[in-house]
Amino acid sequence: MDSFSSPSSGSSSQFNSDVFKDQLKNQLAQAYAEEFLETLRAKCFDKCVTKPGSSLSGSESSCISRCMDRYVEATDKYNDFIVLS
Amino acid sequence: MDPSAINSPELLQFINQEKERAMINEMVAKLTTVCWDKCITSTPGSKFSSSEQSCLSNCARRYLDMSALIMKRFQNMQ
Repeated sequence: MDSFSSPSSGSSSQFNSDVFKDQLKNQLAQAYAEEFLETLRAKCFDKCVTKPGSSLSGSESSCISRCMDRYVEATDKYNDFIVLS
Repeated sequence: MDPSAINSPELLQFINQEKERAMINEMVAKLTTVCWDKCITSTPGSKFSSSEQSCLSNCARRYLDMSALIMKRFQNMQ
């Protein structure tokens, strides 16, 4: 968590609330993206690569991109559903 | 670090907002993973079929109903 340390601008240990907020937001966004990617990998591998062959086939690749699009779509729908309810 | 900064109302408000956002994200992720597995039974298409659409919509509502029911039952068990 050393990226929460004070910015390089000052020699003192002055706490900069804006910098803290930006750093927190960035770290949360990065953690969220990593987790979401891991979910995409798990879900789309499960759906699209049912019998792993010697390479990813064209139909597996296109299934994976459709799977990603649908998963993002479902996530957006549920986000609206929760936020608006 | 100036310890009084931690008590700033502005910062507390920011942290509470982020907490709330994180809870919403977690719930959205939960609904999506659970209902995806229930409702998307064939290979994903270029759009959701109407039966997938209605399954996804019912699934989320019923999951929330169930959560409330479990909470109620669980409290009665205490």
